[in-house]
Amino acid sequence: MGVTEQGLLERDKDTMTLNMGPSHPSTHGVFRIIMEMDGEVVLSAKPEIGFLHTGIEKTSENKRYDHVIPMTDRLDYLAPPMNNLAFCLTTEKLLGCEIPPRAQYLRVIMCELARLGSHLVWLATHALDIGAMTIFLYCWREREMILDLNEEISGVRMMTSYIRVGGVMKDATPEWLGKVRKFVDYLPAKIDEYELLLTNNPIWLDRTRGVGVMTREEAINWSLSGPALRASGVDFDFRKKRPYSSYENFDFDVPVGKNGDVYDRYLMRVEEMRQSRRIVEQALNHLPDGPYKVQDNKISLPERDTLHTSMEALIHHFKLVSEGVNVPEGETYVPVEGPRGEVGFYIVSDGSGVPYRVKLRAPSFMAIPGMCKMMDRSFVADVVAIIGSIDIVMGEVDR
Amino acid sequence: MGLIDSAVDALETEVNNIKLNVKDAVEALDHDYAGAIYDSILTTKLGKVVGWAQKNALWPATFGLACCAIEMMAMANSRWDVARFGAEVFRASPRQADLMIVSGRVSQKMAPVLKIIFDQMPEPKWVISMGACASCGGIFNNYAIVQGVDRVVPVDVYVPGCPPGPEALIYGIIKLQEKIMQEAGTQGAKKRVA
Amino acid sequence: MTGEEVIEKIKSVVGDDIQKGEVNLGDAVVFVAPDSLQKVAKTLKEDSDLNFEYLSDIRGVDYLDQDREPRFEAVYELYSFEHNHSVRIRVGLEEENPSVPTVSDLWKGALFPERELFDMFGFDIPGHPDLRRIIMPEEWEGHPLRRDYPLTIEDVTFSHNREYKSELVKSKPPTR
Repeated sequence: MGVTEQGLLERDKDTMTLNMGPSHPSTHGVFRIIMEMDGEVVLSAKPEIGFLHTGIEKTSENKRYDHVIPMTDRLDYLAPPMNNLAFCLTTEKLLGCEIPPRAQYLRVIMCELARLGSHLVWLATHALDIGAMTIFLYCWREREMILDLNEEISGVRMMTSYIRVGGVMKDATPEWLGKVRKFVDYLPAKIDEYELLLTNNPIWLDRTRGVGVMTREEAINWSLSGPALRASGVDFDFRKKRPYSSYENFDFDVPVGKNGDVYDRYLMRVEEMRQSRRIVEQALNHLPDGPYKVQDNKISLPERDTLHTSMEALIHHFKLVSEGVNVPEGETYVPVEGPRGEVGFYIVSDGSGVPYRVKLRAPSFMAIPGMCKMMDRSFVADVVAIIGSIDIVMGEVDR
Repeated sequence: MGLIDSAVDALETEVNNIKLNVKDAVEALDHDYAGAIYDSILTTKLGKVVGWAQKNALWPATFGLACCAIEMMAMANSRWDVARFGAEVFRASPRQADLMIVSGRVSQKMAPVLKIIFDQMPEPKWVISMGACASCGGIFNNYAIVQGVDRVVPVDVYVPGCPPGPEALIYGIIKLQEKIMQEAGTQGAKKRVA
Repeated sequence: MTGEEVIEKIKSVVGDDIQKGEVNLGDAVVFVAPDSLQKVAKTLKEDSDLNFEYLSDIRGVDYLDQDREPRFEAVYELYSFEHNHSVRIRVGLEEENPSVPTVSDLWKGALFPERELFDMFGFDIPGHPDLRRIIMPEEWEGHPLRRDYPLTIEDVTFSHNREYKSELVKSKPPTR
């Protein structure tokens, strides 16, 4: 059937198939959507994923628990400490150990800084896709400060692997805490700057209000989570309803939306940025003293200076490095509130130092069918806005 | 009789040998002759000017796959401004780009797409393999990841790191610029425009 | 409701269709046979005290190395936002023709995870509208997350599983 007049008359469907291919600047990763279109209106959108499949789950079955942590960094690569935290919380639940309060507060600081970093990238790329290119440069200016803080505490800009089983990698120095405080004082004016540019901007309102609407029942049925679920009116945040890692000690609000469209999701995430900053400030003000990791040497490595004098420390160090943490048999799951939604690892352990099965519950993976349902009966330009508002990251979709 | 036959055979073999040798000699002469024309003073200088223009206006194609893409975006931003090195715009269409920065892990499903995009880029084109996963498979040695993107496309510069910082990637682009200048005006550059 | 109360209520509502109910590290876990999964899931969703309206995740596990029957398992995680409780349903599947009925008519969010179960483990999901490979390429053979599928056919230079490595090296094909 060629492109002759006769061929066009013989076509049995009068819709156009458009392929928004895996290599596309607006798909936030390698993601293919095959759209059936009638003119400008998208009738149906079929997603295709799997272009970034890395086999992390199968590789984790051959590595020790502390070797899996750098692999979890690369799953949701915009907020790596969040994946580390989800993995460590699940392992610690299987181990049944108590994390000291200072380690919990440090974990909270790293996770909220990661949430800020992830939301800054979301705002930058979402606004860039819709056309507001200045925000891209402004948001990265703040994100570079967060990456500098990461580099100072852990040595790596992005994939910090700071949160380990039993606590954190190393203690925070007063200089680092002073830098975090300076960042926290500097940030509110910048978030006001972004809101000044976008929130009441008529072009932004036209392109995002009423687009990609998801009602409360639909959002629950299609398994959305995180800011997208809260924008549709469900008041559920794991930090409030199932507190983990000392979040019950912090005082913060959880924004809930009404309409469930792209504009509401934008407002959710900007307000979450402000609340994250508030949480970091409280954590800095009330940071307790004490050890930064569990003192049980069967779980976390002993201090290096004790290796010169204590025999038990030497033996524990050897066992931990060669065999790994021996986690008791069982299976469990701990959900964590990530910047995209509910992140968690389902870990099945067989009693050895190597996990038996590791499965990531990826919020972007569960959100994709719902996202493609939102694209029904919308324009092509709205497809880009919808993908940006759900904030998918293909690293965790394809694992 | 036998003597004459064997003499005729020997003569035929000799004539064939001479024919083959002459063919080889003429080809070698052509090759040198062509090289001599290309490498004369006039065209070498012209080649260097062309190389200078190419290196200072490398436009990358957006081929961000995974975590390294975030550092590539950071490189394009105001702190480590890559626009001052000539990569002013990241072209979305491969037909308008001449540099492909493969940033991120290439899975088995993505490798044919990578090849198609590389084929769509017009000559002369260069490839930078950014990060450990693109250079050698990185930390993922398993069924799902192509162990090094040089199994699919020819690579000019490898930038190691996981992910390499923006300053490392800029250093890689500078090395590529030096490579372009070294090759400018020589047979190497001529091969790229073939 | 706490984990124990959830298990009590489930046993009182669908006690005949579940094999076992227990509380494991604070989570309510229910063991169900594949044939009764749809009935149990529907009851859990529609009962007003339980009200499990949200499907969080569906996972597959291959227990080959632990030598237990049944070999495979499909694990479902359900939440209720109203009552703030959760339950985990574990469905044991046979080794030949592992098949579990779909729950995508109850929760649309089950569409993608069930396709992943088919792709990665080879479970058959009768009733699923669009059962095809989702993460691996269309023409891939084999189901990668099964325990007898090799991690790679390349030479792994360093591995803790030394026996695993020597089998691979023995059976390595000449070129890749």
